[in-house]
Formats: sequence, structure tokens, C-alpha cells
Amino acid sequence: MLVYPPSEDSELLLEVALKEVREDDEVLEVGVGSGFVSSRLIGKCKSVIGTDISPFAVKEAKSKGLEVVRTDIARGLRKKFSLILFNPPYLQLEDFEKCGDWIEKAIDGGKYGIEIILKFLEQVGEVMDDESRIILILSSTNSPHIMEKPESEFLIEVIGRKKMFFEELFALKLKKKK
Amino acid sequence: MKRSLLDILACPICKGDLDLIVEEEGDEEILAGKLICKKCSVEYLIEEGIPNMLPPELR
Repeated sequence: MLVYPPSEDSELLLEVALKEVREDDEVLEVGVGSGFVSSRLIGKCKSVIGTDISPFAVKEAKSKGLEVVRTDIARGLRKKFSLILFNPPYLQLEDFEKCGDWIEKAIDGGKYGIEIILKFLEQVGEVMDDESRIILILSSTNSPHIMEKPESEFLIEVIGRKKMFFEELFALKLKKKK
Repeated sequence: MKRSLLDILACPICKGDLDLIVEEEGDEEILAGKLICKKCSVEYLIEEGIPNMLPPELR
């Protein structure tokens, strides 16, 4: 297995993205993975582009007909997107769980599982304008540690949730504070 | 990548414009080539139709 297989978090993102997407949206999916979410948005919006740091993920997403760029978050992109999707790596892996492969990169969020999310929130402003919406997936395991940063810069609304055995997943909609 | 994608790509390091060098092109897209930053000259490869915009230290 080289690419993160679509899971409950992918399904939650797809469900809320399908409700949120508009015909005139120019969509960016950060960490597009297998292309499970974005490939279903083709034809429902003006354009969709996916990025991923994994060479295997971008290949698989491209094979589903998506335009893809291999990069970290959105580096090297200079467009303002109206809708930005991100199902981030949000687990805090223990050392014994780490094996250094591309799947680990797809799920390992560093300390408290929030390091990649914070990096995303720092960089995403570059590809946003005042009206852009972000849909971000988070886990209840992250939430005690993360809300300070986004609440200072973004308006946040919970637009979806999924209860699981050991955690709850949230789909957050973020907009820049004016 | 489609040629139109070039409009929204920039050097991830200095944000400079990119020159496109095409090595192989299919009916709809560029399959192989490179993007070279006009300002800082760093090269970004396009392989199997996918541009790699990772800065050198992350490749």
C-alpha cells in the first residue's frame, strides 16, 4: 500500500464538499491523496486542482482525471481559490508506529496531531481571498490543542461531524476574519 | 499538465515567473519537461504529466 486508502475522514470530507461546492467554485484540495474526494467534484465546479507531497498520491489522483501538482501544502501555486479542502494528517504517532513510508506521511500530524494543520493554516492565506472558504477535517483528539490559532484568524463553523468508536471527526468551515 | 496550469504556478522559493521547456507533449498536455525560475534559476521537473514544485530541500 503506497497511498492512503479512502477512510471515514475522506467520506466526511466528500459529504460536506458535495454540499458546499458551487458551480463557479475554483477548488484546491491540499493532500489530494488518491483523489477520492476531488474526482467527484469534477463537473460540479469551474475547476479542481489537487496537491500532494507524495509522488504516489499525485500519480493515483491524476489517473482519476485530476489536474495535480506535487508540492508541500500549496507552495508554488499563485492562484486564489474560492474553495479549499484539506483532510490533514491528524494522528500523533508513537515512535514504534513510525516506519518512514509515504502512508506515515499521510497520517502523521506530529505532536498532538496538529503540526501539519498549523503549517497549513500559516500558508493557506497565500491562496485565499476574502471570500474563500476552507473545509478542514479535524479529530476530537486534536481539538483541545488546536483551536487557539484558527480562532484568532478565521471564522469557524462546524458543518459536519461523524462519531466513531474512539473519536469524533469534525468538518470545519473557515473563512478569513474581516 | 495542461499548458494553462503554467499561469498559476510560480517558483516556491522566490515566487518568480517560470519558463517552460517542453520535452514531450501529448494531445492535451505536457508530459515531460521542466519549469525554470526566471529569477533564481531553480529547475522544477515535469514527469508523467505532473509538475514537481517542491523546493530542492523537500524533494
